[in-house]
Amino acid sequence: MLHRRKGAIPYLLLLPGMAWLVLFFVVPMWYLGKMSLSSGLFPVFSFDWAWGNFSDAVSSYQTQFIRSGEYAAIATAIALVVSYPLAYWIAFRGGRWKSLFLLLVISPFFVTYLIRTLAWETILSDNGLVVHTLQHLHILGPNGRLLATSAAVIAGIVYNFLPFMVLPLYVSLEQIDSRLIEAAEDLYASRPRAFMRVTLPLSLPGVFAGVLLTFIPAAGDFINAQLLGTPRQYMIGNVIQSEFLAVRDYPTAAALSFVLMAAILFLVLLFARILGTERLTVAA
Amino acid sequence: MRWIRRNLLTGYAILALVYLFLPISVVVAFSFNNPKGRFNYTWQGFTLKNWLNPFGYPGLQDALKVSIEIAILSSLFATILGTLIALALVRYRFRGSGTTNMLIFVPMTTPEVVMGASLLTLFVNWRVPQGFGTILIAHILFNISFVVVTVRARLVGFDRHLEEAAMDLGANEWQTFMKVTLPIIFPGILAGGLLAFALSIDDFVITYFNAGATVTFPLFVWGAARVATPPQINVIGTSIFVIAVAIMLTQILVSNFRNKRVSTA
Amino acid sequence: MSDSFTREQLLRRAVAGSALLTVPGFLAACGGSSSKATSTAASSQTMPSSLTWSNWPLYIDIDEKTKTHPSLVKFEQHYGVHVKYLEDINDNDSFFGKIEGPLSQGQSIGRDLVVMTDSSGLPQRMIQLGWLEKLDKSAIPNIKNLVPSQRNPSWDPNRDYSLPWQSGMTGIGYDPKLTGGPVTSIHQLFTDPKLKGKVTMLTEMSDSVGVTMLANGDDPSKVTDATFKKAISTMQSAVSSGQIRQFTGNDYASLLANGDIYACLAWSGDMVQLQADHPGLKWVIPTDGGMTWTDNMLIPKGGHVYGASVLMNWYYRPEIAAMVEDYVNYICPVLGADKVLEKSDPDVANNPLIFPTPEMYAAVHQFDPKALNNEDYKKQFQTLIGG
Repeated sequence: MLHRRKGAIPYLLLLPGMAWLVLFFVVPMWYLGKMSLSSGLFPVFSFDWAWGNFSDAVSSYQTQFIRSGEYAAIATAIALVVSYPLAYWIAFRGGRWKSLFLLLVISPFFVTYLIRTLAWETILSDNGLVVHTLQHLHILGPNGRLLATSAAVIAGIVYNFLPFMVLPLYVSLEQIDSRLIEAAEDLYASRPRAFMRVTLPLSLPGVFAGVLLTFIPAAGDFINAQLLGTPRQYMIGNVIQSEFLAVRDYPTAAALSFVLMAAILFLVLLFARILGTERLTVAA
Repeated sequence: MRWIRRNLLTGYAILALVYLFLPISVVVAFSFNNPKGRFNYTWQGFTLKNWLNPFGYPGLQDALKVSIEIAILSSLFATILGTLIALALVRYRFRGSGTTNMLIFVPMTTPEVVMGASLLTLFVNWRVPQGFGTILIAHILFNISFVVVTVRARLVGFDRHLEEAAMDLGANEWQTFMKVTLPIIFPGILAGGLLAFALSIDDFVITYFNAGATVTFPLFVWGAARVATPPQINVIGTSIFVIAVAIMLTQILVSNFRNKRVSTA
Repeated sequence: MSDSFTREQLLRRAVAGSALLTVPGFLAACGGSSSKATSTAASSQTMPSSLTWSNWPLYIDIDEKTKTHPSLVKFEQHYGVHVKYLEDINDNDSFFGKIEGPLSQGQSIGRDLVVMTDSSGLPQRMIQLGWLEKLDKSAIPNIKNLVPSQRNPSWDPNRDYSLPWQSGMTGIGYDPKLTGGPVTSIHQLFTDPKLKGKVTMLTEMSDSVGVTMLANGDDPSKVTDATFKKAISTMQSAVSSGQIRQFTGNDYASLLANGDIYACLAWSGDMVQLQADHPGLKWVIPTDGGMTWTDNMLIPKGGHVYGASVLMNWYYRPEIAAMVEDYVNYICPVLGADKVLEKSDPDVANNPLIFPTPEMYAAVHQFDPKALNNEDYKKQFQTLIGG
């Protein structure tokens, strides 16, 4: 039942958090916006409604934009497939150890990104067990490798964002009354159908949240491509990184950022529309 | 047949956890490594000396302390702020809800280097000295969105009839919230808080720009990596993990113990 | 005519207006008055009570038992000055991105000494922008101990603003067991079929472009559009053919150690560490020449000039430089340090990667400082490496 009375309550609830966002995000974004419409060479830039920055950005880096979208989408899909059963298991079989398992899921973050990526580099090394096994099974060619490929980059993204998929899924699944599922199984006389008809739809808010929390940051990721990929895997995040820090072409970096942000938001809205936003963001 | 089906899920969950911990096990293993050089890339031999002297590198200890403090504080604040926003968005229909929704998503889409640098521009402009405080502000900033999305997933499926029932039984709004709503949505809040903690403790780019002269654990590791990857870093990472698990285990066992006592009383 | 502007006046006005929009510029436009940093007595010769020094991590001697930096402790005891030592520089560009805001506004960054690499072009940039203080040479008599090859870099010919901390050389690191023989030239890196997909280059423009130019017979200290373009296209073919596997920062070290790459562009200091665990690894300067770079001590605007200069001078004492060198193991810019180490740590003293021979010095080159800050070159290079 949605509270329709206007009242001050929603605004009061929003106030502290939104004030924070406005102050520390919107204001800097305003400056960034002005920079995106400027031109010049470091350190002198002049604001001159340089809309050309945006069209240049899109045309010069089309490949990287598309590639980022692809990698992020594939990684999100894989993460979803890997995470859903795990979240399900924790929610329904975890018992009183649920919070422990959740902690275990995020524990890789305690070891900094660099160290755990180095560990992956050791595991996936050309001379390691994994690669040799895959070569044996003819999944990889005789000179095949896992590192410095798109597979490695996507795998890195998946691993990095796994907790962001597991936790929202868990949160949504755990809420489902197991008796509901039992009843559905009785009704449909088959577990897969009960799952499809009852569990899955009820867990959609969690799926939506997990997909968002994975896809959105993954699209702007740069570090996985940098460490695990070759120039052919570089994503738009790498471009922005180098334009900003190395070339110091701030207008281009700013324009690229806005294009990226707009593209992601567009895709998110599309996705929400397909799933049906009302169900996902507003209480029944 | 049922046995297989039942254990299929468990088997899968175990596989998933193994996958999650595969690199961690390598990290733990290499914390016992004894390299002669300063890089910890190849196994040279077993030693306990890293564990006996985990803070051998000056600066590592302070960096770790800063990281943990910031992670705890920023996830705490972000969870509070984010939960409030999620409550407002899910339960109330108000003008500006669409814009608010957008405003929650947009920070997540912003590339880190740009967010970090433009925030720094703000601080410099307003003459805010960079250090612990600015790192905290930045971390709370990027954590809020993640908390909102996570908590919202929980709130959406929440059965309001429970609240109505409580109020029918005489509870006022506040009591209902504390005794009915909050416990039920708590897993969502906990999950949001855990995510925020993880994000904060591992953040590099945004922190780098806004840290001033303060060094956090990831900053130290990335900086050190140019010349060394001391096994002590592995030791510290492993320790944090072990300690967190131990705390969590204790809390679970204690509450179990308490529950047992209550039920047998 | 009073109301028609000459073109020059128009341009001048435009420039004045555009100054508003430097990244720091729009800070000033938004009401931030440019308060001058209290330049603590730049010309007086008294020591301050404390100094703040930003350096790269693990770039100074460490006593693991006491968790202190002995050379620094000695300095503090000798002068009665406390040194706040920060290890917060881990990348030149990122560090610059961090400090340019305050510096461009005339705000002090709260540091008296920073250490940045010449091959990033940033020390030179900072001189041009007026963001560095001149050294107080009268406080640095030990400057006479600076190795001759470092005395007159083209970007700071009189060493007015900088003094080397450590330097390094860029050459070819390789594993002879995997390469099946010596790897001696960049040409070989790019064309030897045995090395296909097992070669990495560096994301440092000066290093990668520099050695390629040398292999093409061009001079990296005098870059022209044509020679730059040629180097890029040479590398591009090697990338397209799959010969070059990746462009890396110093993470090539783990790949080389694991055998994922056979040969790469490598820094001398890294090789010293790698060779400790893998004695078989080799490092050579390419036959056509290698590159050299130096991390320089600089005094940012607002830093205590006298204090920082005295600190620099301390580290040009051969016995102090030896203490640092014994741990850091990059290339020492101080004459006499090797003699000190001959007694206490002969392995280090006789390691050519730490105390190079004159032949090695002659074989390495510096990259043209003007080219380092050329935005067009940087874009070309970034496009090559994928960004």
